[in-house]
Amino acid sequence: MSALDNPQVDISLEEFLRNVRPRLKTLFVRYGIPPQDTEDILQQALLALVYQRHVVRDPESWLMGTLRNKCLLYWREHRRKLYEVVDAAVLELMADPIPPAQETTDLRRDLAIALEHLPERCRSLLSLRYQGFEPTEVAARLGYSQASISKVTNRCLAALTHRLLTSRLPRRKPH
Amino acid sequence: MKPRDPSDENASGDAYDEVIDRVFAVTVAVEPEVERGRAHAHALYQELLLHPAARQNLLVSNSARFRSRMLCELLIQGSHEAGFNDPAQAAGLARLAITMAESLTAESCGGREALNGLRAKAWAQLGNAHHPAADRAFAETKERCEQGEIGLLDLARVLDLEASLRRDQRRFGEASLLLDQVIRIYQRLGQWHLLGRAFKQKSMACGEAGDVEGEMALLRRALDLLDPNEEPRTFLAARHNLITALHQSGRPREAFSLLFHTRPLYLKMGDRMSLLRMRWLEGLVAQGLGRVEQALTAYREVRKAFIELGLDYDAALASLDLAGLLVEQARTADVRRLAEEMLIVFSSRDIHREAMAALHFFCHAAQVEKVETALVQNVSDFLKRVRTNPALRFAASV
Repeated sequence: MSALDNPQVDISLEEFLRNVRPRLKTLFVRYGIPPQDTEDILQQALLALVYQRHVVRDPESWLMGTLRNKCLLYWREHRRKLYEVVDAAVLELMADPIPPAQETTDLRRDLAIALEHLPERCRSLLSLRYQGFEPTEVAARLGYSQASISKVTNRCLAALTHRLLTSRLPRRKPH
Repeated sequence: MKPRDPSDENASGDAYDEVIDRVFAVTVAVEPEVERGRAHAHALYQELLLHPAARQNLLVSNSARFRSRMLCELLIQGSHEAGFNDPAQAAGLARLAITMAESLTAESCGGREALNGLRAKAWAQLGNAHHPAADRAFAETKERCEQGEIGLLDLARVLDLEASLRRDQRRFGEASLLLDQVIRIYQRLGQWHLLGRAFKQKSMACGEAGDVEGEMALLRRALDLLDPNEEPRTFLAARHNLITALHQSGRPREAFSLLFHTRPLYLKMGDRMSLLRMRWLEGLVAQGLGRVEQALTAYREVRKAFIELGLDYDAALASLDLAGLLVEQARTADVRRLAEEMLIVFSSRDIHREAMAALHFFCHAAQVEKVETALVQNVSDFLKRVRTNPALRFAASV
């Protein structure tokens, strides 16, 4: 139980920070946040706490809950960026007008294999996407609403990325 | 990515020390500044309230002095508090909060997340304070939430306000789903008192939807979590609702027992409204226990007091409780006499047109001696609903 469970026990901010320090370290280690990326996450949360201290009843629980959420958002954002990179790379690969080199051919084959292993709806969606259809057109063709197409696309990209990362794609040709 | 196994934490935890030291130093330096800003915002808020509405708008739109996160928070809070007594002022303050929130920047607010939260709360407050603007306001709120990150506490507040509106609109399913999200957030943040409040909110949605068992279960959970020292009125309201629900579900002995244990809280509160509500509840419980004369006395006392205080809706509802009991006792002449008195009292008051139509309907039925318990109950239910939703129309078929 936190020392600040009872709002009547009004300890100073310095003392509160001293008390929570070990838990903060444990949390960042547990979520695997690189130390250099910790600063923004922690600073945002602590500033929010200082601003909202009069509403927050159990600051320690609030801080830990908020930080856990921020850590999850951190990794979600990283995953999103990874999907975007994969998506952009695949789009570029498909749009390349130059006759494919051997490496590109391999990549196309890897991609085709990865797509084959995806659920039917993702296969259809990504095939259309990589044939050059706009998201609105993909939505219309597959019967998704305009509001949900980006969410579904993201899920399919996540599945594709996972597939590519766990299949043959990471191989490197020996130099 | 899944959280790591904590077993390796000691190995790499020291790498965070430098960062934590830096952040702690900034936080400690910022705290007095924030406190000064809070005190200044209180003074500005009082100053702003002294001006007429048009001037308030002008100041908030054009004067940099009246532009701060703290002041905006106070406007939102002021709007919420005004909502209980003065809906027009509540809407006015919410609009000021929106104007201010839209003119603030992420830098002046302490980050994008704080700004998003402030804007979402201001729009949500308008939606709650001014029902005709609600749909637009909550669409804006949703957009603000989707635009970027928003703090969990702010998000819970926004969802809570929307749930409250949906409850008023009798869209109980939506209200419950929204409150489930609120509950999950408070659980995640370990805010047990707020969690208790959310359970109480959800219990009201359940009760109004007709699920009295669900209402009681949620109220019991709320009472376990609510801190009577922090918000004695909220705690008392939850007890009050539980006693009413026990009465409604045909458990008068349990209701009586809980009322006995709650009486000191009403007395401690001491204000006239709390004491009247206790007396009203005593009437209900006495009715449940078959103590007719005790119940009639309590209802009459409460009705008389509400009329004197000019609390027309409460007076009408207490009158209907009295009428219901008289109908049960087949005292049709007393019902007719009561209806005549009600017509005289309420016709001279500025009562909402549809509420008056419902009362007329009851009084007419009493005059022709066609009142049944179900009719009294339906008129009473309508009055409770129209009080929070003036757009409702009374259908004589109730």
